[in-house]
Amino acid sequence: MSSMATWFNDFWSTYSTLVFTVGVHAMMALSLWLTLSCGLLSLANAAFMGIGAYASALLTLQAGWSFPAVLLAGGVAPALVALVIGVPVLRLSGVYLAMATLAFGEVVRITILNMDITGGPEGLNGIPLATEGWHILLLLALTIYVLHRLRRSKVGRAFESIKEDEVAARLMGINVARYKLLAFVLGSFIAGVAGALNAHFTFFISPREYGFENAVDFLTMTVLGGTSGLVGPILGGTILTLLPELLRFLHDFRSLVNGAVLVLVVLFLPKGIWEPRRVRAWWVRRTGVSK
Amino acid sequence: MRLTPRSFALTLSLTCAAMAQAADIKLGVAEALSGGAAQYGLAIRNGFQLAADEINAKGGVNGDKIQLVIEDEQGKKEEAINVVKKLVFQDKVLMVFGPTLSNSMFAGGPVGNAAKTVMFGTSVTANGITDIGPYVFRNSVMESDVLPVTVATAQKFYKLKKVAVIYGNDDAFTKSGYDVFKGVLADLKLPVTTTETYVKGDVDFKAQLTKIKATEPDAVVCSCLAEEAANIMIQARGLGIKAPFIGGNGFNSPKLFEISKLAGEGTFVGSPWSNTNPAPVNKAFVAAYVKKYDAQPNQFAAQAYDALSIVAATLKDVKLSGDLSADRETLKNALPKASISGATGPFKFRPAKTKDGKVGGWDADQKPFIYVVRGGKFTLFEGK
Amino acid sequence: MLEQQLLNALTLGSVYALFALGFTLVFGVLAVINLSHGALFMVGSYAALAMVTRFNAPLWLAMLGAMLVSGTLGLLVDVLVLKPLRLRNAPHLIPMIATIGVSIMLTSAAQGLFGAEAMRFPEETLPAGEYIVGDVHVRALEIAIVLISFILMAVMFTILKRTQLGRALRAISESPKAAWLLGIPVERLFHATSFVASALGGIAGVLIALDFNAITPGMGQPMLHKGVAVIILGGMGDIRGALIGGLFLGFAEVISKAYLSSQMGDAVAFGLLFLILLVRPAGLFGRQLERKA
Repeated sequence: MSSMATWFNDFWSTYSTLVFTVGVHAMMALSLWLTLSCGLLSLANAAFMGIGAYASALLTLQAGWSFPAVLLAGGVAPALVALVIGVPVLRLSGVYLAMATLAFGEVVRITILNMDITGGPEGLNGIPLATEGWHILLLLALTIYVLHRLRRSKVGRAFESIKEDEVAARLMGINVARYKLLAFVLGSFIAGVAGALNAHFTFFISPREYGFENAVDFLTMTVLGGTSGLVGPILGGTILTLLPELLRFLHDFRSLVNGAVLVLVVLFLPKGIWEPRRVRAWWVRRTGVSK
Repeated sequence: MRLTPRSFALTLSLTCAAMAQAADIKLGVAEALSGGAAQYGLAIRNGFQLAADEINAKGGVNGDKIQLVIEDEQGKKEEAINVVKKLVFQDKVLMVFGPTLSNSMFAGGPVGNAAKTVMFGTSVTANGITDIGPYVFRNSVMESDVLPVTVATAQKFYKLKKVAVIYGNDDAFTKSGYDVFKGVLADLKLPVTTTETYVKGDVDFKAQLTKIKATEPDAVVCSCLAEEAANIMIQARGLGIKAPFIGGNGFNSPKLFEISKLAGEGTFVGSPWSNTNPAPVNKAFVAAYVKKYDAQPNQFAAQAYDALSIVAATLKDVKLSGDLSADRETLKNALPKASISGATGPFKFRPAKTKDGKVGGWDADQKPFIYVVRGGKFTLFEGK
Repeated sequence: MLEQQLLNALTLGSVYALFALGFTLVFGVLAVINLSHGALFMVGSYAALAMVTRFNAPLWLAMLGAMLVSGTLGLLVDVLVLKPLRLRNAPHLIPMIATIGVSIMLTSAAQGLFGAEAMRFPEETLPAGEYIVGDVHVRALEIAIVLISFILMAVMFTILKRTQLGRALRAISESPKAAWLLGIPVERLFHATSFVASALGGIAGVLIALDFNAITPGMGQPMLHKGVAVIILGGMGDIRGALIGGLFLGFAEVISKAYLSSQMGDAVAFGLLFLILLVRPAGLFGRQLERKA
């Protein structure tokens, strides 16, 4: 009995950070899903995560705010920025929007890099450990709940119609601009909170973590997982975060296999891992039970 | 004695006990073996491997062999934390060498420190590393110890009246090197004609160098990594800049002058190590490294090699009880007293001066050598 | 000093343009954002290096070899990865993710084969020679780079605007279905485009490697950023856009480093991009409408 406890203790000591990271990445993937569900391909979420991380870390280090306050600030700060740039940027669509958000993300990263208060390229170190498992669990669950309810509400339906056909939606009287802004800002809030959580269990943040590559990584998690529902991004985030750890035994071949897995998954599951229709069909085949 | 099951079991268990006596000493190595910092991490790993093999060939430490548990932290901070945790909690190593980058140390160091396990960095030079806590050690000499000597020496030799500065502003290493240079130049009252920056991965410096050329400095001070340094020197010469260079820690790589050849003539670099340093320990190290890896060692490999020697020397004089937390504590208490003569010369630790007076770790207490480049090679600067 | 800076900008910009050209070709014709273009660029450099050091090939032959190797790899990626995805009507972001996977594999393989340290072309293989005109230093190498880039771009331009092949490619980029209905061998042209685009990326890699004498497994990443910036600036899928965009980016970077502050070079480039997108989302030359069918 006590050996179970020891085993769990050892496991948790070794892997707690990994589990926390999975939670944070799931939140990031969900924030991207939110914007995708409105037809917006936004690559700015990594930058928003960075704004949230820096805002919260600076408030902890320099102003001594409490953790809950700092988390809230971590969400509000990027939301304000999203509000400001959202209005002009969201007039673009498709790949152009993606590129604009990407460019914006780079501007944010470079600004942080060149400011003294953020520590510049040396980043901020010595951020106290404040995040605990239950924070992440709670906030992730909250995010899932909110998005789930949103999906089934009038707002969610509006998002879907905008995604399907923006022109038609506008003709039907839907205030497209406002709904897009809502998705954008809410997505940035989630990303910011994820960033704040991450900053407080990794002791150190630097501009390098919130750039182009990271934005693409999060997008990969979302799309690979499957964008039809909330399960997909969470699954994608979990698998892609755990994969390098699982492949650790491969040592020098780890990266190679990682890349290969990505290619193979895409080839064999082009609509993402979690695709309800395929899963349902498999379930029916497996159990002979039709839902 | 007849081979009964009981006697067999007895013999087997006695053998196991005997083997357990000559137990391996498990030392964790967390370095960047892939990704952007791989060129440093791989050299560091080689240095460790070489040292461990040599020590084991001579019978190990008090009869115990050293076993290196090597993990790739990929130069990413989350990986650094994961790897340190795995080494400390799962592999249950006695201590951890690494991580490679200062950034990774800032993330992984606190974890090891909180777990009361020695974290020994060999390549981390940023300010604040040893502020993390009393379990953090490093044998990488800080820029603030090396650069003042380098600049002062160069200033006297070249009779410098004004200099230009160029540095990489998106890398913690080169930026903190710049901060030190700035302070040193101010202390020496050496005016700066212009300060230029670049970002990592940049290969084109002609814009900045053209600006520098226009200000006619007597020397160009660079806080750069070897990669960029080589290109900067070549391009500077290509643009007609004749002034000599003064380099920080990043310049110290034999490859640097392999490429830039004569573009680097007259460069002043301060460093705790150079492959031309004629001390016997160093010559033996270089020869052994070349033989084993078919390549020249660099500063990173040398410091890793010395780091393991430091730990081995410490372990020789202590008694390990077999209780992991007790042993980790023993090592942490004994390590500060280590003093060896390694490939980087005579070495000992000194306590870190922390920002807010908290108890800190241990920094390297080593005097740098000043080198000047002649004929495309580092030569020890003996002059005044 | 201005003349020297302009020369610097020209050399840099022409390589950016060459790289972006391949990138934009794939986007225009195949409608795929090929994020392995940076890796193929890197492979070209290593291929040329290997030919020079191991087979003692002359530089011009090594350049051709680089184009062949990168082109073939690009073709393989199209046949093995992009084509199956096309057949399955995969949503348009999925191929992009696959190319990320390819990029990771290629980078990792390069590190495994050549090591993580930067490699260089041997001194003797580089064209020597330097010309000094007043205050301006020009290396023969830089002249060669600009010439090669412009010649290749001119060739591509001619093919696309003046030949039947070019017309077919432009038709496909408007609408592959319509093109197919018109009897254009769409699949074969997809393959050909992948080959050519990757070959251009490969030679861009060799040129950069020669100019700055540094080849690393990760050298494709920063170039990819620039490539994305160029196609935004110049308009996606437009060849003139890649050319003008590349030169413009080169100039913007150099001039802002020279006259503003070397720190803000990158920020200026991206800030500019951002503003251009807001004002004229299709870039300088892009088409306003999105692609149909």
